Parts: sequence; structure tokens; C-alpha cells
Amino acid sequence: MEAMSSTIELLPALSPVVENTVVDVEAETERYTGTSESTATDVPWVVLVWNDPVNLMSYVSYVFQSYFGYPEAKANTLMLQVHQQGKSVVSSGTREEAERDTQAMHSFGLWATFRKADQA
Amino acid sequence: MAKAFRKTRKGIAGELERAERDLVRRLFEDVISMLERTAAADEDPLAALVGLDTNAARPEDSALLRLLPDGVKDDDGESLEFRRLTERSLREDKVAALRAGALLLEQNPLLLTPEQAQLLARAINDVRLVLADRLDIETDEDAQALHEIDDWSQAEDLQTYLALVYNFMTWLQESLMQSLLAGLRQPE
Repeated sequence: MEAMSSTIELLPALSPVVENTVVDVEAETERYTGTSESTATDVPWVVLVWNDPVNLMSYVSYVFQSYFGYPEAKANTLMLQVHQQGKSVVSSGTREEAERDTQAMHSFGLWATFRKADQA
Repeated sequence: MAKAFRKTRKGIAGELERAERDLVRRLFEDVISMLERTAAADEDPLAALVGLDTNAARPEDSALLRLLPDGVKDDDGESLEFRRLTERSLREDKVAALRAGALLLEQNPLLLTPEQAQLLARAINDVRLVLADRLDIETDEDAQALHEIDDWSQAEDLQTYLALVYNFMTWLQESLMQSLLAGLRQPE
């Protein structure tokens, strides 16, 4: 399952590798990280931030500048999109990157979700 | 009355009265207990070690759900999966910021580095999210209407009191943000 890919890579360290002396590194990597699946398509993942009446406009802009390192003008444009259009795509990348950014937005108290870029 | 935060050459300075600091600290502690109360007591130690939470479930309390929101829209299965992978560390992250915020408020007057100010801002924000849920703030108009309430002598019922506290936290947060944004524009 794709959603597990970010944690499954932790498992090799915990499981004893005793049976096979010859390890097919590529196959193992693929098995543990699911890379074949994620590289099979070039469609990136995106992170959306949704509007809410609580987070201050200054705070949202600050989060975009300090976490993503966006210049002030870009951060303000994205913040206004969230505020006026209800949502904005704030970052894109691999699924792992999208998950990490989503979690970071949640830790700042912003409501973010991630999805494949080609989903309506 | 507290003085608004401002950027100085030594750091971000602010001043709160004792009663205000006590109030804010108590609010931080309330949110910490919300976040910790629901954490599973009997959990798989191996899962805990790698940061997993196999028992994670969507919070029933709407305020807690606002602190720990769904990561995927319109897909309960994917959302739950994400929650199991990330909710534990999200809780820990939030509790850490709230604790740091409470600790920072022990000094007066306050003099904060940008990193400390960010921790305090995250803590204040989580308190505002919880208060907003209790006050049923759902639209920008709700927030605007609430903003008008600013007379502490009117604090006769719980809702008015919560609204006054919410507005105080908003005021603190806004001045903290202006100081942090000024620092980003003009780093020392």
C-alpha cells in the first residue's frame, strides 16, 4: 500500500537478514520503499491549504515564508488565494514530500490536505 | 494591560501583566491536556518507537479535530492511514510548542529570539483554534462580529468571557506576527 511507504523503510533495520547472503539491493529497496510504484508515474502530489476564519492573514503569510522559504510577495499571493478563493496549492513534490508538508502545516495549525495533482 | 510585541535590536520584546501571563499559561495547559488525554494509554511499544499510532481515530471533539485535522479530503480511509502515520508526532510537536510557550511566559518582560517567538505563536494559535471552536466561529463574519466585543466590564457570561479571551489572544498573536514578519524583512 502506497501510504505505508514512508514508514516501511524503517523496517529493514528491525528485521534480521539471515537467510539470503546474496541480497538483490534493487529488489529489496523496491520492496521496502515502493519506489517502483512512485516512479511509475510522473504525476506529482500537491498540498492544499484551506481557508478558515481563525488563522490570521499575517500568520498564514508568516508560515508560508518561514516554513517554505517563499519570498514575501509569493507568500502573500498564496495567502490571499486561500482567503479569497477558499484554498490554494502551496507546494508540490513526491508523495513523501506532500505528506511532510501537510503534517508541518498541521503543526502550525493550518488546515492542509494532500492529493495527486491530477485529481479534480 | 499588556504591551504589544515589537521588534527591537535585542530581539522581540513584549510585556504581559501577571494575570495575563497566568491566563495564557493556563490556556496552554488546557490545550496540552486535551492533546494528551486522548492519547492511548496501552499502546504497542514497538509501534510507539517508530512513531506509529495504530489506534489513532478521527477525534469526535470538533476542537480536537481542528488541532488534528484530516490530511486527505473526502477519503476517510486515506485520512485514517495518514493519521496513524503522523498523528502521534503531530501531538508531540504541538505539546512541545505549548510547553515551550508556557515556559517562555515565565520571564517578564519577554525578550524572544525568532525561534522562540515562533513556538509561542504556534501555541497561541492552537489556543485560538480551540476557543474559536467553542465560540462557534465558522465564517469570517462570525469572527468579525466577535471582534467587536472588547469591554471586560461586560464579561458576565461564559461566551462573552471566552470572546474577550479570544480577542486578547488574537491581539497578542497579531503583534507577535508583525514583529516576526519585520524580522524576516530585515534580519539583524
